[in-house]
Amino acid sequence: MHEMSLMGGVFEVIEQTVSQHKVKRVLQVKLKVGVLTNAEPDALQMAFEAYGKDTICEGAELLVERIDVLGRCQNCHYEFNVTGMFFLCPKCQDINIKVIQGEELLLESLEVE
Amino acid sequence: MEATRREIEVMANLLNSNDTQAEINRAHFRKSHCLAINMIGSPGAGKTSLLERSLPLLIRSLGVGVIEGDIFTSKDADRIAIHQIPVIQINTGGGCHLDSKMVSKVLSDFDWDAINLMIIENVGNLVCPADFDLGEAFKVIVLSIVEGDDKPSKYPVIFRNAKAVVLNKMDLEKLTDVNMETMKQDILAINPHIRIFEVSCRNGNGINEWISWLSQEVIEYREQEG
Repeated sequence: MHEMSLMGGVFEVIEQTVSQHKVKRVLQVKLKVGVLTNAEPDALQMAFEAYGKDTICEGAELLVERIDVLGRCQNCHYEFNVTGMFFLCPKCQDINIKVIQGEELLLESLEVE
Repeated sequence: MEATRREIEVMANLLNSNDTQAEINRAHFRKSHCLAINMIGSPGAGKTSLLERSLPLLIRSLGVGVIEGDIFTSKDADRIAIHQIPVIQINTGGGCHLDSKMVSKVLSDFDWDAINLMIIENVGNLVCPADFDLGEAFKVIVLSIVEGDDKPSKYPVIFRNAKAVVLNKMDLEKLTDVNMETMKQDILAINPHIRIFEVSCRNGNGINEWISWLSQEVIEYREQEG
């Protein structure tokens, strides 16, 4: 359940952000979560509700966008979706694959009023 | 007047505060010429047993310190302290992983002139610790083969991010249905650069190979970092 700690990070960012803008209420919070992190959308949802209680975020909607894993072959530079966690270039069979997407844990944006 | 809905672009990394502190810890280890490793594995995989087997051999040539992560008890730290090794217990109080701030709080409790290898034993868990950088040079996984050959493919994130995996409880191989080839193939498919060690902490088999590799890593780290 490290989603609780991650949500601590979300709320730190939210507090910082709303302190710089005139915000009455947060209506929607958008996260981008890479498949190569271990954050579970359902657990994030639960943590969001727990943290949001009695705050400017109470009742807000949490949208979690899952980001697929994209790898780049270090040999032939081919970019491909890594499925099944097998890091092997489908073109040249090289095993040196750099992850270029899929490790994100980002607060993308807030919808506020 | 009705309040207007508007969107604020943020694009902030949720692990930012952990990652920032992890870099500070990393700089501390570097300045102390100390290789720090983050040891991760499920409860009962044998992380503390591996330390008990390894420490008497490591301290022949290295100054070793240990940070023990545990949810509530100091049982693991007590097992390590018997070996006359500086050890600090961190209790997470319910938390399922160590984070870089918890580690930074205990760094001042060690005599860094006497330590060139710091082993941080994380809370027993193959999932959560994978996302939290502690400032270590690299991660080592301890996986007992009795957990099943499907575990690497079920917990790929941690295998992708580790430099070595110690497969423990090899003495039980014949008593289980584990397929060692499948297990090793899956590990290498996720991370072709990972080093695999097969050991038994019960009878000591395979420990020497793991110790020579780790000792060599300390030497290389100290050469690289001056």
